[in-house]
Amino acid sequence: MNTTWKTTLFQLILGLGGVGLLGWLSGYLFPALFLGALSLVFWHLFNLYRLDRWLTRPKRSNPPDAVGIWGQTFYKIHRLQIKNRKRKRRFAQLLREFRKSTTAMPDGTIILNEQNQIEWFNRAAADLLGLVGARDTGQRIDNLIRNPKFISYLESSDFEEALELKSPFHEDIQISVQIIRYGRRDQRLLLVKDVTRLANLERTRRDFVANASHELRTPLTVIGGYLDTMAADDDFPEEWKQPVTQMQQQSRNMTAIVSGLLELSRLESLKTAAPRQVVDLGPLIDGIRSEVMAAFPGKAQIQVKLETSAKLLGHESELHSIFENLITNAVKYSEDGGLVKVRWYLDSNGARLSVSDNGIGIPSEDIPRLTERFYRVDVGRSRETGGTGLGLAITKHALGRHGGTLEIESEVGSGSTFTCHFPEDRVQKPTHRAHLRAV
Amino acid sequence: MDNTDLAQHISRQYDQELEDVRNRVLAMGGLVEDQIQKAIEALINSDSELGESVVLEDYKVNEMEVSIDEECSRILALRHPTASDLRLVVAIIKTITDLERIGDEAEKIGFLATRLASRPQISNRYRDIKHLGRHVGRMVHDALNTFARLDADEAFNVAKQDEEVDKDYESIMRQLITVMMEDPRTIRQVLDVMWVARSLERIGDHAKNICEYVIYLVHGKDVRHTKLREHDSLAEAEEHLKD
Repeated sequence: MNTTWKTTLFQLILGLGGVGLLGWLSGYLFPALFLGALSLVFWHLFNLYRLDRWLTRPKRSNPPDAVGIWGQTFYKIHRLQIKNRKRKRRFAQLLREFRKSTTAMPDGTIILNEQNQIEWFNRAAADLLGLVGARDTGQRIDNLIRNPKFISYLESSDFEEALELKSPFHEDIQISVQIIRYGRRDQRLLLVKDVTRLANLERTRRDFVANASHELRTPLTVIGGYLDTMAADDDFPEEWKQPVTQMQQQSRNMTAIVSGLLELSRLESLKTAAPRQVVDLGPLIDGIRSEVMAAFPGKAQIQVKLETSAKLLGHESELHSIFENLITNAVKYSEDGGLVKVRWYLDSNGARLSVSDNGIGIPSEDIPRLTERFYRVDVGRSRETGGTGLGLAITKHALGRHGGTLEIESEVGSGSTFTCHFPEDRVQKPTHRAHLRAV
Repeated sequence: MDNTDLAQHISRQYDQELEDVRNRVLAMGGLVEDQIQKAIEALINSDSELGESVVLEDYKVNEMEVSIDEECSRILALRHPTASDLRLVVAIIKTITDLERIGDEAEKIGFLATRLASRPQISNRYRDIKHLGRHVGRMVHDALNTFARLDADEAFNVAKQDEEVDKDYESIMRQLITVMMEDPRTIRQVLDVMWVARSLERIGDHAKNICEYVIYLVHGKDVRHTKLREHDSLAEAEEHLKD
């Protein structure tokens, strides 16, 4: 108990004692005590009233003057207020600084709450998306960015990758958006970047490759044509036979590379998913099998195992090039007399086609880069076996157009397995009757 | 939000339902915008595959219309909305009808793009069609924005753009007629291009309708079939309505 309380208690006892004594002396003990107590209650009530008035006053002001315990209470509240005000000012300052720094960021930033409503955004976001301060705060973000791709991105909970789309504000601006989750209340940060320049560069690169390949094809056809005539000419000087055959082979290689590049740029420029023709894998793979066996006689055996009669919904010639690339590679990198197994089967989320060989295998550090164009594991050997270096890149792109993915497993010395995963909606499962017939 | 005070309801769930259905209308709008853009792109780039995909995707727009319609009937039956809530539901029911029609027009353009892709492009390579398409696409986009922001003044401005679209359409028509007169062998494909222009013009009309529903929703005034072009601002047009 501090001194103020002690004094208050002492004053109370003294006061009531004094009043009691006066009352006793004058013969009105209880009325006097009652009046004394009443005035005490009034005094407290009066001070409470003053406290209330003071606290409800909108502007800051000094506390009312009072003595004793009330004075101390007023003073303490006043001190607390000052402390809070200081802290609030400090936080406001911090927040202002923070917002200033995010406003200055070149990338757009939007804070979304759990209902996807916009809570705050910076200047860059306003410029990129055409948002206006007070008007759009509280608006749901998917009311303003209505692109179906964005809406499904927002609804999915997978924000690993950024999404590229046209800005809803200006169609010449290409933006990339990414959502980052934070906080306990499932708040989200939406980052918006202007990638127009990047997208243009990418397009320029694509166009360049396509145009260059196209321009190279015509001269190559002429060169190849003359070389073919020369090679077929029996009167040709003997010492030139060897060089001409080699030139002929190289020009064929170059033609293959150019066609590969053209095919790749065609696949890259297509925006739509592959069409959904019904493709029966049995005849398709049989055809590829005999082609490859004819091209590499005596290299490896190809064993085809179709475990289901399910059909694929896709683009026939693209599927042909996917499987042909995989099977050709498998045979090419097998030892003589090796065995290549092709397996077509259903799994829980679609279907798979796997091609495995017992050849030389691929070192694990090369696997992630295998589908890059012109990437070679062993430069010397691939020159020897021929090939354009584009096969797997084409495979990956064509597979992507079918919603599929490529999985590569390999062990050096014991062989590799390439597996194409096809999603469920690309697989036409056999009906019961068809299944019975197949069995 | 502030205009219609959707936030005043005691029942949070009801609020949520109204906001959700509004959000779904806008999602449907996004899909329709995408369809328009793809259809025009398919036409200009002679991309028959893209045109076909527009035709195939139209069912999504139709499905959304049906499900939003059902949701609105459910709200009408269970919640008995009044005042601005009622106007919101009514505006939504009307808006989705127009959006669905826009989807149909986009489908038509996609179909025509597929058919035209196999023929040589006519003289000016669809430059004017591209321009009209951009304008109309922008109009649909802005109309949906005013619906999202409940901005009646902006809706009025967007609705007025329909006049320009009509003018563009007329000038394209005149041009196409000239092309046909010069070389009657092109008539078949020019007729197809005409249908595309016609569809785009119709899309402009539907976008204008959506703007009118926004004005009705925010101000409770029906400005359909009034001559918007005679007035410079919404306030003026409304003044006129009172007389």
